[in-house]
Amino acid sequence: MTPASRSRIGALAVALLLTWLVGYPLLLTLLQALEVEGRISFEPLHAFAGAADEWAALGRSLLVATASVVLAALVGVPLAFVFARTDFPGRRILGALVALPVALPPLVGVIAFLFLYGESGFVPRLLMDLFDLEKSPWRLHGLGAILLVHTYSMYVYFYLFTRAALARMDGASLEAAASLGSGAWRTFWRVTVPQLYPALLGAALLTFMTALGSFSAPYIFGGGYRVMTTQIVASKVSGDLARANLESVALAALALIALIAVRTLQGSMVDATSAHGVAPRPRRIRRPGVRLAFAVLGWTLAIVLLLPHLTLMLISLVPSGTWTTELLPPVLDFGNYRELATEPERLRPMVNSVWMAAVATLGAVALGLLTARRARATRGRMGDALEALVALPWAIPGTVFAVALAATFSVSQPWFGRFLWVGTPIILPLAYLVRVLPITGRAAIAGLRQLDPALEEAAWSLGASRTRSFFRIVLPLMRPVLAAAVGLSFITALGDFVVSIVLYTYETRPISIEILSTLRSQSFGVAAAYGVMLMLLSAAAFLVWGRGEAAP
Amino acid sequence: MHRHLSKTAHWLANRLWPRSPTARSPAARSLAGRSRAARLRASLGLACLALLPLAACTGDGRTPLLVYSPHGRDLLTLFEETFEAAHPEVDVRWLDMGSQEVYDRIRSESANPQADVWFGGPAAILSRAAEEGLLEPYRPAWADAVPTSSQDPENRYFGVYRTPPVIVYNSDVVAESDAPQDWSELLEPAWQGKVLIRDPLASGTMRTIFGYIVANAVRETGSTEAGFDWLRRLDTQTKEYVHSPALLHQKMVRQEGLVTMWELTDILFQQQRGNPLGYRFPTGGTPVIDDAAGLVRGARRPDLARTFLDWIGSKEALALAAEKAFRLPARTDMPSDSLPPWAREALEHMVPAEVDWRLIEADGADWMTTWDRTIRGKGGDAPVGSAP
Repeated sequence: MTPASRSRIGALAVALLLTWLVGYPLLLTLLQALEVEGRISFEPLHAFAGAADEWAALGRSLLVATASVVLAALVGVPLAFVFARTDFPGRRILGALVALPVALPPLVGVIAFLFLYGESGFVPRLLMDLFDLEKSPWRLHGLGAILLVHTYSMYVYFYLFTRAALARMDGASLEAAASLGSGAWRTFWRVTVPQLYPALLGAALLTFMTALGSFSAPYIFGGGYRVMTTQIVASKVSGDLARANLESVALAALALIALIAVRTLQGSMVDATSAHGVAPRPRRIRRPGVRLAFAVLGWTLAIVLLLPHLTLMLISLVPSGTWTTELLPPVLDFGNYRELATEPERLRPMVNSVWMAAVATLGAVALGLLTARRARATRGRMGDALEALVALPWAIPGTVFAVALAATFSVSQPWFGRFLWVGTPIILPLAYLVRVLPITGRAAIAGLRQLDPALEEAAWSLGASRTRSFFRIVLPLMRPVLAAAVGLSFITALGDFVVSIVLYTYETRPISIEILSTLRSQSFGVAAAYGVMLMLLSAAAFLVWGRGEAAP
Repeated sequence: MHRHLSKTAHWLANRLWPRSPTARSPAARSLAGRSRAARLRASLGLACLALLPLAACTGDGRTPLLVYSPHGRDLLTLFEETFEAAHPEVDVRWLDMGSQEVYDRIRSESANPQADVWFGGPAAILSRAAEEGLLEPYRPAWADAVPTSSQDPENRYFGVYRTPPVIVYNSDVVAESDAPQDWSELLEPAWQGKVLIRDPLASGTMRTIFGYIVANAVRETGSTEAGFDWLRRLDTQTKEYVHSPALLHQKMVRQEGLVTMWELTDILFQQQRGNPLGYRFPTGGTPVIDDAAGLVRGARRPDLARTFLDWIGSKEALALAAEKAFRLPARTDMPSDSLPPWAREALEHMVPAEVDWRLIEADGADWMTTWDRTIRGKGGDAPVGSAP
């Protein structure tokens, strides 16, 4: 067997594995959605296409996703410019703080927002006190509330991607433009912005997909404003599985269309990142007044960004039932934490979350590396297919994927690749693995691209085996990129709520589910204490692993 | 298994972060001088792996019994401890979730059932599950002591508690005499925009109340139209649909809304915690929910599950639940002095409505879908003052 055909077979095996994990459950969902009395029919599709409320929900999902992209860009991109291009007091600390929303897990973050900006939350109460208002100035509710939460949690994508791109930008091109007589404005639009396109597009896609699949915010703030993710869960809980399947298919189709559209757009663009050079140094602001203004603005921003975290910490110290209409809680103590620490059963979900997130991350790194290696070895159409497959879970909203996975692995048909995994501890870590696969896979692909193949070839020619050269040469060189991906994957899996709620079992109940159950029993303080733990774990992971160069 | 895992972790660690810097590649040399941060990362990664064997060992030799229940942490912890004290060889485990979610979960796990006992939830939901073959017939020892209306003719589920929905108000702002006396008074202009409702889709309690309203219309007028019309007017009065009971109570206490409809048990718990919530039994009658329990089909520990079912309906367990967790027993043979004062008072003032449960079981799900798609939120944001 020639090496070429061997690598093709390897690539085929990886492609099959990915298809089984990612594409197959979706295909089965589609088939189930179209099944009427044991036969495939287009009848349900017709009925679905005629349902005005389904179209309305789909439209709202699209609106929420698009508006989230616009708002997140409006916040994230200017911030990135400020931090990359200007120097002012506290720039370094603030630059790190700005990424903090990443460490606020979805469900917990939404609850923090509720206590902070909700109708009887801290900020409205403060405004009512200050301005002597009779009623709360606003209600955190509907589209506005969803977008507020989305903007807060998703501008980070634009911020990080833009900052990374600005750091890679060649300063010489700016100088060249200036020396050719181009004004600052013109240089910005004609030189800087085009170089940022790939990063902006990447951030936009990530934001769009996250917002489209977002569940916690619409679930808690949506009320009558029903988007597709909440619609799916409502149908499933009401026992209308056929409708839930159809809705899932519709949402996945919308996401895929967006993904294909962006990829087409991307393909027609020149690769601007190939330029190598030195990024322009941040401009030091000298005028004292302007310096002060920047510092004040920067710190105000940091406080606004930190408020949800602080709120969560505050609630975790409030004993149950003591905070009603007062502006600030009258009693504070550590009772909620004591409750967590003294009951071993209540620490269990934390252990569960940590091991599942660790296993899923490790698995995703291994699978991501395998895919990246095969894609690089085969190139061509097969390589493209592998890269697309590894990115696909991005485009599938968590709810859809979880429902599909639950249906696929509730039957034992080994010959059809279906195993009885529902109710076992396998399925949830597996779902996490697939959810974070795009993060590790993309990082591995990007890392391999930056790697000079000559290094590995040199190792081979010196007699190192392939395994040895991989572990001794390739992996160490890719570590910065992989470390960032590991940190992000770990946080994502650790804080997951959407997938967990469909697939957890008693043995694998994660923190987010325990938070939900604690909320059911009215103990906001204990729920917040869990939230703080989760936040600290995420922040620790972010600091320890995430400090490697970000790899967008 | 543990040894094997730790060996794997060791091997992996050696591969990823080699200890001896013997290799001559530039990469390996850079590794040799790796920073403390890198070591920290490595050891943290390993610590996570080390948790794996810890997580894999769950049991402690006792036989686990898994209970799915919407009855809340307080009652479930109490029952876990009491039952385990009497049966030291048993480890009672429970998952607390909405009753509609219990149904959804048991159904999606039916190929590989996890739960042994389904403890709690309106009989209408258990009846639906029973029709789908999710419950195993079993007649508990106490079955004869509950009214026939709380029994499944095929012995698949039986009522354990009776849970009356009541009208709830914030007692700091609303005087008892001003609070609505009957369901229909919730529609009065005075409560416009002050009504909060627990999102009925995921809630067995709300489904029962809404189902009762529509079924009542069918009984009185022969069609569902009047019932949906009533719900449409309620929607106009409603300020917000709240996604969980916890948030509902929170918003009530914080005066975001002043009146709601909810079950007595939770409100008594709220009062015990010092929260300013009052309640009234609707004068025209309330659809008292039969909170039922049953044996899950395909349960792994069916014998133990039967023992547990026998126990939860015993006089001793019912008295305990009434005393500590505000649960009204479904059994009619409880001696009056075994019940706490609140229960005696409830039995005296509660007006159980006549309800066509069969109709709700048959059509309730469709009604809720109709409500959800055509009524919910259509009038909720109407400005204050626009009469319904």
